[in-house]
Amino acid sequence: MKNKGLGEFEELVLLAVCILQGSAYGISVKKEVEKHSGRSILLGAVHITLYRLQDKGFLKSELGGNTEKRGDRRKRLFSITDTGMQQLRAAQEVRQKMWQFIPQLNPEA
Amino acid sequence: MSKTNNRRSSIIQWVLSKVIHKSQLEEFLGDLEEIHAERATSSKVQAKLMYLIDAFHLMLGFSAIRPFKTQNNSLLMFRSMFKIAWRNALRQKQFTFLNLIGLTLGIATCVIIGLYVHDELTYDTFHSEGDRIYRINQPNIWGDWGTLSASTGPNVAVALREDAPEFEQVTRLLNLGHQTVTTGTTDTHSNAFKETRIYAAEENFLQVFSFDLLVGDSETLFSEPMNMALTWETAKRYFGQDIHAEEAIGRTVELKDYDGTWKTYTVKGVLANVPDKSHIQFDVMVSLKSQSEMMRAHGWKWIWTAFSTYGLVKEGTNVNHLTEKLQAIPPKWAPPTTERIFNQTFEEFTKGYLWKLDLQPLREIYISGSPSVHSFGPTGNPQFVKIFGSIGILVLLLSAINFMNLSTARSANRAKEVGIRKVLGSERKALLYQFVLESILFVLVGTLLAFGIVHLSLNEFNTLADKNISLLPHLSSPVFYGITLCFVLLLGILSGSYPAFYLSAFKPIETLKGKLSAGFKGKGIRNGLVVFQFTISIALIICTFFVQKQLAYTSSLDVGFAKDNILQLHNIEQFGFETEALKIRLESNSAFTKVGKSFGIPPNIWSGDRYKAKGSENVVQLNNIRTEEDYLDLLELEFITGRNFDSSRPNDKYKVVINEEAVKTLGWGDQSSFESNSPVGKILKLASGSEDEFEVIGVVKDFNFTSVRRKISPLVMIHHENDKVWDYGGGLSFYSMRLNPEAINSSQDLQFLIENLEEELAEVDASVPFEYSFLDQEFENTFRSEQRMATVLNLFALMAIVIACLGLFGLAAFTAEQRTKELGIRKVLGATVSEIVWVFSSEFTKLILISILLAAPLTFFLVDKWLEGFAYRTSIDLWVFVAAACTALIIAVLTIGYQSMSAANKNPALSLKDE
Repeated sequence: MKNKGLGEFEELVLLAVCILQGSAYGISVKKEVEKHSGRSILLGAVHITLYRLQDKGFLKSELGGNTEKRGDRRKRLFSITDTGMQQLRAAQEVRQKMWQFIPQLNPEA
Repeated sequence: MSKTNNRRSSIIQWVLSKVIHKSQLEEFLGDLEEIHAERATSSKVQAKLMYLIDAFHLMLGFSAIRPFKTQNNSLLMFRSMFKIAWRNALRQKQFTFLNLIGLTLGIATCVIIGLYVHDELTYDTFHSEGDRIYRINQPNIWGDWGTLSASTGPNVAVALREDAPEFEQVTRLLNLGHQTVTTGTTDTHSNAFKETRIYAAEENFLQVFSFDLLVGDSETLFSEPMNMALTWETAKRYFGQDIHAEEAIGRTVELKDYDGTWKTYTVKGVLANVPDKSHIQFDVMVSLKSQSEMMRAHGWKWIWTAFSTYGLVKEGTNVNHLTEKLQAIPPKWAPPTTERIFNQTFEEFTKGYLWKLDLQPLREIYISGSPSVHSFGPTGNPQFVKIFGSIGILVLLLSAINFMNLSTARSANRAKEVGIRKVLGSERKALLYQFVLESILFVLVGTLLAFGIVHLSLNEFNTLADKNISLLPHLSSPVFYGITLCFVLLLGILSGSYPAFYLSAFKPIETLKGKLSAGFKGKGIRNGLVVFQFTISIALIICTFFVQKQLAYTSSLDVGFAKDNILQLHNIEQFGFETEALKIRLESNSAFTKVGKSFGIPPNIWSGDRYKAKGSENVVQLNNIRTEEDYLDLLELEFITGRNFDSSRPNDKYKVVINEEAVKTLGWGDQSSFESNSPVGKILKLASGSEDEFEVIGVVKDFNFTSVRRKISPLVMIHHENDKVWDYGGGLSFYSMRLNPEAINSSQDLQFLIENLEEELAEVDASVPFEYSFLDQEFENTFRSEQRMATVLNLFALMAIVIACLGLFGLAAFTAEQRTKELGIRKVLGATVSEIVWVFSSEFTKLILISILLAAPLTFFLVDKWLEGFAYRTSIDLWVFVAAACTALIIAVLTIGYQSMSAANKNPALSLKDE
């Protein structure tokens, strides 16, 4: 898989997984992203993104934690990999760097 | 989570399990369930909907994306087919749009009709033992023995209980008609309510019918005299909006008896409001035992036909055998009654007719709409259901044909695609699948859109059709989904198959050479389909025309008297029998030019009796109305011979006036023989009891006193003071007033007059409910259901023509594209624009003309059949056909016109430059 950086939604999902620290699965990620971004998201979109991120090697996952509410089915818990963390940092840095060069925000430069 | 929910979603789970890889299935299903449970706490419907959307989304996302990308070839195929379908839809936006609109409209119409028909066919299905309940019908012994009546005498039930052990329960219901009810104190009787939906029930009523009892004991509810049950709504109406159901129990309510005395009933139960879809609609139900006095007083055990008798048969009863067996009951039980009352043997009384007892299943009572004699509650019209049902299917057929036509037409543009795919090694099967899939997708999208439209437009439809239909309850029924799925697949495959087979059979070499677009085949079939579509549309237009024409004709029909400007006051019987004082008061009002009393008002004069002409043994059934001379004057009835009653001749009260039809029925000749053999002075006899004789003093011209739908029946007008006969027209009496057009010339005047009247009557007796009507409006109302049908029919006919036009428009667009070069060459060779438009349009106009020729005889036949049901029928005029044909032709020409104009105006240089 070529590493072409993160899409906006991918980044949000990745961040949500980090926040949730080991309890990240479809619904919890969906809620987290909805909470912070304020938009409503389809469950399927979250799943698709989670799997894509796993393909890119930014996430890893394992099955675990079944509850009555889910009809006794396990959930897949996602957590971030080192590459994923790097990628997230890199993305953040790129932005940070670019922000510095916005003239309106830097009147003296 | 409830069981039903699990069952409902199992189809979706099954589909998911087929499409999604095992390693992911568990977590997805888990997530779906979890989120559904959460959403279900706020809105169930929304939760279900979101479940569906999410599942579908996951299906789309994961069938295509993940691990089995390389493992599962058919899924990959599927995905590519989707992609191609999508691209094709986008590439030909106009076709896609036309196709979808046509389909959506067609399906939406069909769904609405389907919901309507379903609603009509599922009346009275809420009773838990409903499939074992039957109503006992018998011949209409007071009129035409050949027709059935929905009511029987009280003792039919007694006999059934005795002689037919096949019945688990037999229960009677007595319609009490109009009653005045008050919750006020005994001395004032203010706070009076007029109840029209009031019945007397037997103690086993609730064991047969499953009406919900909110409070009260179902065992004892109707077992004591003077017990009463109210529906929840009525209880609130009587005792205040915020009363608790329990608080209503034990309260007393008074009912005004026929003799003006008040009887006290105690509320013993509160029932849930009666479901809309019940043929028994009541507000108040009293125990039949309260009427025991009346039941004992009448020796009329078999001929007091006011009771609806219902039987609950035991499980496993053979109803045919039971019906056969019941026929022995009337000859065995009825003779004592006929002998005592009429002094006739059973055979004499039945005049050779069979006094049969007929079992009518509860579910059929509403929709069959028959027998209409003595039935109550809402009635359906099986004719409407049939007509609407067939229109629904036709409209759907139209849109399916549209779809098929447009698909084959545009297939020419895809001939190259098919050629290339074949060259690249595509199998015919794969191509077939591609086209069928595309068509299924189209239908699916169309169906979903149609559901949206249906949901949004049901409100309007409900107002139009006076119904209460909703789509939402069906969304939770698996049957509904099953039907929808079957429908989508069926219509998709059906309408996709023709283009699929046709297209996939293309020979790659020819298509790639471009031969196909030049000599495009399949035109014959397409033209045939267009003709079929327009035949149906034109037929519908003609039918609508005739329905309107018939309605206009009947409502303008001369009823034989001056029905305009007559105000009628109801409930006069409650002021007592002697109301001269009231009449004088009314007459003193300058707004009225004439005031007259009658014991029945058109179009609802149903009372009647058996008479014979003196000197003849031939017994005939004549309608009668008790009235006074002023009423006949007020109606402006025309006397052919003889005279009206005269108040200065006291003997007139035992004389009668009859109508023309009665003269014929009694065998006294007709108008031409009046000179030589005048009916005036002849004697009419009652055919039962004392055989009292009445002299005829006048004959009036026939006038319509029932519905315009019926032929005028024979009528006897009895003087209101005649105390030798006991026909009081159901005990109701009315004052009718002819309005003075000079005093009343605006709706405010009328409003003011009515308010004044109300006050004036309240001064006389405040306990009598004030009710009025206008004679002409009552006549109009007899056509309400037809008018409603006409509006709905208009709407559907419009749908049909719109769909047909969409198809035509699409085809014209296609042909224009196909013939670009031809038209270009014509133009180069010197054809004018108008010539080209003519060449182009005539091709389609021919088709429309053929349709007109086909539709005309077809509709003639249908309309002729429909009109048979009317006593007064409009003529089937040629001009209607011509008008409808012109309408269709104009619409079609306008539709094609746009295409032909743009085709004709094209610059030939542009259309000829390539190749």
